[in-house]
Amino acid sequence: MLFSYTGFSTKELLLGSTNELNATLSEGLLVDEVVVVGYGQQRKSDATSAISSVNGSNIAGLVAPNAMSQLAGRAAGVQITTQSGILGESPRIRIRGIASVNSGTDPLIVVDGIPIYSTNVGGYASTSGLGDINSNDIESYEILKDGAATAIYGSRGANGVILITTKKGTKGTAKVSLNSVFGIANPIKTFDLLKTADFLTISNEKRTNRGQAAWAVGSDYDTDWQGAVLNSNALQMDHSLSVSGGTDLTNYYLSFNYTGQDGIAKDNSMKRFGISTNIEQKITKRITLGGGIKYNQTSYDGLNVGRNSLSGNIFNAIRQLPNTPIYNPDHPTGYNMSTNNTVVGQWDNTDPVGDNISNIVYVLDHNTYQSTVKRMMGNISAKVDLFRGVTYKFQAGIDNPNTDGFLYWNPIHGDGSSTKGRLQNSFENNFRWNIQHILDYNKLVGEKHSFGITGVAEYQKEKYSFIESIGTDLLNEFYNQVTVSNAYSVQQSGGGASENGLISYLGRLNYNYDQRYYAQLSLRRDGISKLSPDTRWNNFLGYSLGWNVANEGFWDGIRDVVSFLKLRYSFAAVGNTDIGNYPYLGLTGASPYNAGNGIGFSQFGNDLLTWETSNKTDFGIDMRLLKDKMKVTLDYFINDIDNLIFSQPLPSSLGIPFNRITKNIGKSLNKGFEAEIQYDVISNNAFNWTVGANVTFAKNKIVALPNDGADIIGGSSSDVNIQPNIIIREGESMNSLYGIEYWGVNPSNGNPVYVKGDGTLVQGNVTDSKYYKFDPANPTVLGEASSLSTATDRKILGNTLPTYFGGFSSNMDYKSFDLKFLVRFSGGNKIFNATRRDQMNQNLNNNSTEILGRWQSVENPGDGVTPILWASSNTFVNLTSVATTRFVEDGDFISLDNISLGYTLPVRLTKKVNIRNCRVFVQGQNMLIITKYKGLNPEMETFGVDLNGTPRSKIFSFGLNIGL
Amino acid sequence: MKHNILNLIVVFGLLIFSSGCSEENLLDLSPINNISIDAAFSTPSLIESSVNGMYNAAAMGQYNSTTFNNGRGYVWGAAFVQQGDNRGEDVVNTATFYQLTYTNTYDPTTANNVYYWVDGYRLINRANLVIEGVTKAVADGVISEEVGNDYIGQAKFLRAITHFEMVCHFARPYDDTSNGTHEGIPYREIGVNTQSDVDTESAKGRNTVGEVYEKALADLNDAENLITNTTFGKATKNAAIAFKTRINLHKRDWASVISEGKKLEGDYSLEANPGTVFSSPTNNQESIFSIAHTAVLNPGVNAALASQYKRRLLVCISPIIWRDAEWLVDDKRRYDNDSDPTSMVFTSSGRKYTNKYKDNVNYTDPAPVIRYAEVLLNMAEAYARTGDAPNGLFYLNQVRNRSLADAGTQAYTDFPSNKDLVGAILKERRIEFLMEGRRWSDIHRLQNDDLWPISGVPAKVANGNPKADDFILGTPYDGPLGVAALAKTDNKVIWPIPQIELDANPSLKQNPGYN
Repeated sequence: MLFSYTGFSTKELLLGSTNELNATLSEGLLVDEVVVVGYGQQRKSDATSAISSVNGSNIAGLVAPNAMSQLAGRAAGVQITTQSGILGESPRIRIRGIASVNSGTDPLIVVDGIPIYSTNVGGYASTSGLGDINSNDIESYEILKDGAATAIYGSRGANGVILITTKKGTKGTAKVSLNSVFGIANPIKTFDLLKTADFLTISNEKRTNRGQAAWAVGSDYDTDWQGAVLNSNALQMDHSLSVSGGTDLTNYYLSFNYTGQDGIAKDNSMKRFGISTNIEQKITKRITLGGGIKYNQTSYDGLNVGRNSLSGNIFNAIRQLPNTPIYNPDHPTGYNMSTNNTVVGQWDNTDPVGDNISNIVYVLDHNTYQSTVKRMMGNISAKVDLFRGVTYKFQAGIDNPNTDGFLYWNPIHGDGSSTKGRLQNSFENNFRWNIQHILDYNKLVGEKHSFGITGVAEYQKEKYSFIESIGTDLLNEFYNQVTVSNAYSVQQSGGGASENGLISYLGRLNYNYDQRYYAQLSLRRDGISKLSPDTRWNNFLGYSLGWNVANEGFWDGIRDVVSFLKLRYSFAAVGNTDIGNYPYLGLTGASPYNAGNGIGFSQFGNDLLTWETSNKTDFGIDMRLLKDKMKVTLDYFINDIDNLIFSQPLPSSLGIPFNRITKNIGKSLNKGFEAEIQYDVISNNAFNWTVGANVTFAKNKIVALPNDGADIIGGSSSDVNIQPNIIIREGESMNSLYGIEYWGVNPSNGNPVYVKGDGTLVQGNVTDSKYYKFDPANPTVLGEASSLSTATDRKILGNTLPTYFGGFSSNMDYKSFDLKFLVRFSGGNKIFNATRRDQMNQNLNNNSTEILGRWQSVENPGDGVTPILWASSNTFVNLTSVATTRFVEDGDFISLDNISLGYTLPVRLTKKVNIRNCRVFVQGQNMLIITKYKGLNPEMETFGVDLNGTPRSKIFSFGLNIGL
Repeated sequence: MKHNILNLIVVFGLLIFSSGCSEENLLDLSPINNISIDAAFSTPSLIESSVNGMYNAAAMGQYNSTTFNNGRGYVWGAAFVQQGDNRGEDVVNTATFYQLTYTNTYDPTTANNVYYWVDGYRLINRANLVIEGVTKAVADGVISEEVGNDYIGQAKFLRAITHFEMVCHFARPYDDTSNGTHEGIPYREIGVNTQSDVDTESAKGRNTVGEVYEKALADLNDAENLITNTTFGKATKNAAIAFKTRINLHKRDWASVISEGKKLEGDYSLEANPGTVFSSPTNNQESIFSIAHTAVLNPGVNAALASQYKRRLLVCISPIIWRDAEWLVDDKRRYDNDSDPTSMVFTSSGRKYTNKYKDNVNYTDPAPVIRYAEVLLNMAEAYARTGDAPNGLFYLNQVRNRSLADAGTQAYTDFPSNKDLVGAILKERRIEFLMEGRRWSDIHRLQNDDLWPISGVPAKVANGNPKADDFILGTPYDGPLGVAALAKTDNKVIWPIPQIELDANPSLKQNPGYN
């Protein structure tokens, strides 16, 4: 069993049947490693594909709602972004860039051979499908990046594959391991909002500038509304207890774990109980049976985090007036709200609060969003040595998350006031089964010809179903824990189901000559239910070549310096099945009217729709230098995506559903360079120090688009608050920012000035909301009438995909102490900081301190960027309908993701109480970030747009590892 | 022995696990939630459902939602009221919600005008699919010709009024050129559900305004002849006739306004109390066509009329019309009483709001598309403009007198000139249909009027909450107008064609001035 942090581990691995390899990884990485590949394992030195491995021990012990988020920065080509501080939201995972425009872009996650649900699994609070695996149970992560590695997953490999192997027992006496960590989480940063004094000045200047009476009155309060929606010092803990062991014939692993986390956002928390088991029994000399079950119950409490929702926590908090209190003892509810309960109370101000926001504290105190995931993941396997060199393996697995959802909206105030309350219960069931038959044959012919053949037949089916009950117009707010029959006047129910299936047949041929020349060929034939019978079957070919130069005779003299050198080339076609269930069919959907049933056109069919495929090419070099102390991997990759399944926009005047038809049109290209280096700086009894670094340079380009290359404004986003700011355009990087170039402020009158498409300047005249030409040499003159056109004056404002990213890690042990840290960096991308724009609101709302730089007069022109204040003219002054460069910023950053210091108690001490190993540690996560980005965090973007997200967390924690 | 048993277990296990692995079980799957478009007209019940689905499109629309049918009442469920009001000067947009419409700052990407177009054509395509599907079902003997005709008539009605509504927003008025030969909008008459439909329909450009009027009137004539339905919330023969008075009024075909209006006399009457139309919206003598809403099917918290105009106070009555001298202070349409459902306005912080839409919990108020008072005022205007002052006065007074505190002393008896009579009728429309979405329609059709031209878009009270003092009656409003007027020649007098249309459709060109 493994508790130490330094990568010490012992594992027993089977390679084929004849080739048993006992690899004792005494010092981490430098012995010939074995990597898990699709449907099997391979010696790393034999691999001809691009695979990154991350040891589970590097991640266990970090405080996070899901382990996957902590893979960030640890492998080249892999980009993992935590976009908000909301527990239960999945991190964004990109392996070698974005492989699709309209189809899925998440990699396939395979746990012990079974593809699992990795996205939201239902309910009313976010429930990441990745949140149900305890990091302490994970032995290793393998990230399959190039075509050769992913080809084996054929139709599902377009976005890359992450293989997770959970821990198994090893031979020996039972080992018990206890791992505990307690963390304190705080917002990574908070907004700089105006305090009451400045708020009064700014708010009333908005009005006086346009000749209206002051509307902000009263300074009895200076309320921190932002603080009212965020937790400080949120407690987050994780405890895990495992027992493992084995004999010659049996090995077992059993663990229990508990995770409890309070979120950065008030009202957001998660609790997870889990059991994980793995057992393997050699029944006869030839037959081994194995299996494992993981069961979790994960419950989440959530909240409204709508970017543009009146009761969205951040949208609301940043708009609240600091000179109004949260509570009002004179109001029947005890909270400060207007007499008709529709909005937060205006207090002494002359006008109601702008943007119709609710009292967010009342809402958070009363509304409920819950999800409880009960999830079973299980697999069984049987392995049979048939005859010499031939093994047969059968593997079957299920993943079955069942999610209960509950939602309650209080009838008095907030989202529920619109319908006099709301109660909803839902039940969602996801069920996926997967069966694999794997036939393996390994043969050494003569001394030097080594063959390996693998044949696989795989079957998979999944079904999703849900039912939902909804009640509005509640009898009384007493009913707030579950939908109770007849406790509401308006009753609704809903439900639905969908299913899909996959069959594939696969062959893989490996050959190497004298461990010098390698070749691998794989062919997969996949059929999916998602396409029409005529197009549903497709073949995916992959091949790769390798040359282990260092095993050549002529290398003898150099081997002391370069002990290993392998050149790799691979190519493979892989597909994307994340395309919806029946994209080819013309369908109707229920469309009732008044009290009558109805149906309406819901999906435009295209039975010619076929597979979306990626052609992945990779050139790689693996090296070991300096007596194996240094390991270097370099890769250059090209991912050419063809037949992109695109929902092509059609003229909306045709009136077809969504104005879109799904077609195979469009091409996109990802290419890049990546490098991984690991170096054993010092290795002796007292002191071990290993450092690792990785960097990726990547570029995306849209090569061809439908409708003769017409722009797709709105990009891949389905969020209407994101769409106006991004574009997919031929020749540009996918989902680039799109909008108007901002010039600055007219120093003579404070008008915002923009650059038109032809390079000329126009000013938005705040007094009449119209555009006039602007001449910097003659700013006092309002030029002739002009315009700002969405058709001709918008341009690309920057790419939203980082062009470089990577990490640097260090693991150091000195005697009983260990110190490790991970620094991560990323950049080259632009972010449209729409949150900043929201904080420049011209209504009776609070602002950020940035607004203090506004133009006040010719003598006092401010920061040159912030225009004159003009009440109730938000859409015009801040040009809220499109992105402008006024709020576009660089996304570059360097972040100290985590740092930990551990101390292992002397064995002579612990031995006395029969403790084999005892280590205590303290660690910090997200403690330091270096960036010029003005928002909370440059990773809090979605398609390059930062809009009202909940701050990510920084966590200080301490923990304990005990081994018996 | 042991081995054999084990082998048996393994084989048994394999059989169990492999039993579901057939292509039939895994790949030959069909949708569970959706009926195929090819089956939508295959049985009488599905045909009736398809007709209801067309009304669903009218009532809900989709707006920018990614959820099917989850719209904001574009066009006929709510938006025609909200947009029609906010384009005019008789309301004040108090918050951001309708600001771009209210302050004339829309562009080809602004959601309000974009989804008016998108959801309008979405409804039209459902109507066209009904016409084609029903025609085929009748030919195939699935339903009788009589039932089929009723459905086709209703579909033609919705197709006509939706094109007409859109041509009033996206094209210059009919009389900008003689017989409306300038650019209108495409009049779609083919149901698009195949690639070849896409190809042929995409190639068609705009019809002229005159053609749109002609086709809409032809459709309404068909609807008048075909429809037998009389249920509330759906098109009727009389709804088609009533709509013809509206279109002919825009067309300035006064004789047709009168002749169509005459057909309805006797079928409808005005309620004695103007508030009854809204306190009993589904059961009164006056409503001719309304879109029905239920507690479980309505445009929702971000669009339902009672949500926007009542619960959220997003739009108030403008002091401009509220303090207009011709709207008598004791007029029943100013009736303000929280406890009386026939109350027509309510007050919040001193500001006046309409109380025409009442259900601010379940949003079941129907959207009033056309009612008899409009037919009467259409006729009054047609008579007055053709020199028949007595009839003009008669029809005007029918509408106005019921709302007067004392019709005996306050009723109009005569006017110095026909122009003054027409002026009184036009003012009466603003008062009677306040916050029913009718204002834009009048601004649009009167651009070139000989008697009372409205040049461009009138100036309005500033966006935001007006002061309570601004609503004090006694003098006409003479305070500041924060939203400047648009000149008649300003391109923004009509809405731009949505950019998403132009991006995908080279056959259409943008309205002048929007680039």
